[in-house]
Amino acid sequence: MTAGQPGSFAAPAAPAPGRTELLPVLPALRGLLPRGGLARGSVVAVAEFGLLCLALAAAASADGAWCGIAGIPEAGVLAAAALGLDAGRTLLVPDPGPSWPQVVASLLDGCELVLLRPPARASVQVRQRLEATLRRGRGVLLVAGDWPGAQLRLRVASQRWTGLGDGHGRLRARCAEVVADGRGEAAMTRTRWLWLPGEDGGVAMADPADLPFDIDEEPPGAAPGLRVVSG
Amino acid sequence: MVVTCPDLPSASLGADPDRQPARRHERVIAAVTRFCPDVEVVEPGVCAFGARGPARYFGGETALAARITAALADLGEHSKVGVADGFFAALLAARDGRAVPPGGAARFLAAQPVSVLAGQDPAARDPVVQDLVALLNRLGLRTLGDFAALPVRDVASRFGDAGEGAHRLARGLDSRPLATRPPPADLSAIQEFDPPEPRAEPVVFAAKALAGRLHDGLAARGLTCVRVQVTATWADGQESSRRWRHDGLLSAAAVADRVRWQLDGGPPAPPDDGAAPAPPDGGEQYQPGGIVALRLVPDLLVRATGQQLALWGETQVSDRVARAAMRVQAMLGHEAVLRPVLGGGRNVHDQVTPVPFGEKTEPRLPADRPWPGRVLGPAPGLVFSAARAAEVTDDAGRAVTVSGRCAVSAAPARLAVRGEPPQRVTGWAGPWPLSERWWDPSAAWRRARFQLATEDGRAWLAVLQDGRWLIEAGYC
Repeated sequence: MTAGQPGSFAAPAAPAPGRTELLPVLPALRGLLPRGGLARGSVVAVAEFGLLCLALAAAASADGAWCGIAGIPEAGVLAAAALGLDAGRTLLVPDPGPSWPQVVASLLDGCELVLLRPPARASVQVRQRLEATLRRGRGVLLVAGDWPGAQLRLRVASQRWTGLGDGHGRLRARCAEVVADGRGEAAMTRTRWLWLPGEDGGVAMADPADLPFDIDEEPPGAAPGLRVVSG
Repeated sequence: MVVTCPDLPSASLGADPDRQPARRHERVIAAVTRFCPDVEVVEPGVCAFGARGPARYFGGETALAARITAALADLGEHSKVGVADGFFAALLAARDGRAVPPGGAARFLAAQPVSVLAGQDPAARDPVVQDLVALLNRLGLRTLGDFAALPVRDVASRFGDAGEGAHRLARGLDSRPLATRPPPADLSAIQEFDPPEPRAEPVVFAAKALAGRLHDGLAARGLTCVRVQVTATWADGQESSRRWRHDGLLSAAAVADRVRWQLDGGPPAPPDDGAAPAPPDGGEQYQPGGIVALRLVPDLLVRATGQQLALWGETQVSDRVARAAMRVQAMLGHEAVLRPVLGGGRNVHDQVTPVPFGEKTEPRLPADRPWPGRVLGPAPGLVFSAARAAEVTDDAGRAVTVSGRCAVSAAPARLAVRGEPPQRVTGWAGPWPLSERWWDPSAAWRRARFQLATEDGRAWLAVLQDGRWLIEAGYC
């Protein structure tokens, strides 16, 4: 696997067929995850809800898994569908209410992947019980928010949209720097620049030579510059 | 004899907030039952019963039909009655409200086009039968008479099982012969609730498991049932019993839907009362006392041919997912678990229709139209169901406005979304004007849409409507 080495942007190979301990993810995201996929029975925490959460669920859903989205009434399903999520295999529970741990446990019985924004901070007991349900059902819990003890944590460290000028144009694509760290095999911090979304609505790796501007400096419109980005 | 009420809303068996269609339906069935006790419900709005006995009692089929129509008209329901030999012919006769003379069913059917095999309701059409109908049309067999004239063995070998069943229907016979062996044991499934269950959802959830047990029991003997009788008993002894048409085509979820529909009709009214008692405003409570038992009894067993059970929607919903979804619905209510349906529309909140689990997945606005005037480009990751108020100001701090000629007063410089700190605007585009339903003064609205990018890297879909700025969606 060439992923993880500085300066390399080849997408890592897909997990070997027949390995059922992982749920697949989009090719562009594989480099961020320690084994190139979402480990079944684990919790993945994303700092806040956004396209990154939906992108993480997209490949598994397209592959046939059912996906549940709990506690996120503003989830943009159309954007998720553009990323690859199958809306026909999605369950929405916008308001799980005060008994949300039982609701999530029930959803995990039916769906292999559950995207959750907890309405309140989860106590240790609640977390442990959900994690036990998760391990039994071999699903994946994607938490948009805080989850102490998550095996993998991702966040969008910086982002910039292209396409908007000064009163003209329209939003075309977003370039985002995604950082992943966690515990155990995910302990090493990985960073990737991604088009999230790209012009076609999907996710792709971003080559620093292609970035139309220098991320740290002026917004688009100024002279573009190049900066080597550590991979 | 088949009675249909075309005006009765039958599109959805799902829970309806005020249960009006279910209660109307219950009144219709109760009225028909006064003429013949052995009524079977085919689908909401259509019921059938054997007419020979009641017709003799009431002085002929025409007289009986006239009395039924009059009785339903008293309830305010428009109805049509059809009579013929055989269930399928009677169903077709009911569409026109005619009586086919005894022995004339074959001639009546012969004149019908083959498309009647697929059924009336576009949503409930079986794709296998639809393919068969298309094939028959291409082969030049346009009426049921042409189809019925083919020899049985050739039909079976060429068109398979579905074709053989359709051929029997075309000849006026039942689609499958009744099983000749007497049913060995009591194949009914019963569930008791102790203490009595006052709420709907747990009963419907249990009904699904019961239906699964029933189907398993039948399948183990290679049988399937033509009708299923659903009996619900209330704590005070009242009983509601309905026969539903099954034909081996209902999945466990579909049976549970029919149970829900039946329970929504309420416990049967005492004979001298006109209408069913309305449930109290708790919404989900059933008077009086709750349900103590639910019983599903299969009726008229036939040999099972391994036909696939019909399912809602295009995507197959596995039992495991349906169980999980219905369990959450039992906890939070029917509307709490939704399936998103992608559709059309110009505004971001129109483009996805959330449909409660178990109901037909149809978008509110059709997807395959051009919808000019929608915002192009990537879809937003956050779509606020209630748009958030915001303030967009220019360099001098004045609110940005858009004139009637779509001229912006000044370039937006700062965006302050309620609940977030104010941000500097780094890029913007618009106004993209939209005027919808201008012919209807109560529904007309004019809005100007903008995309704003802020210095933290996020972008927003901002709308100026009636002088107020609203954030409808976030690109995050």
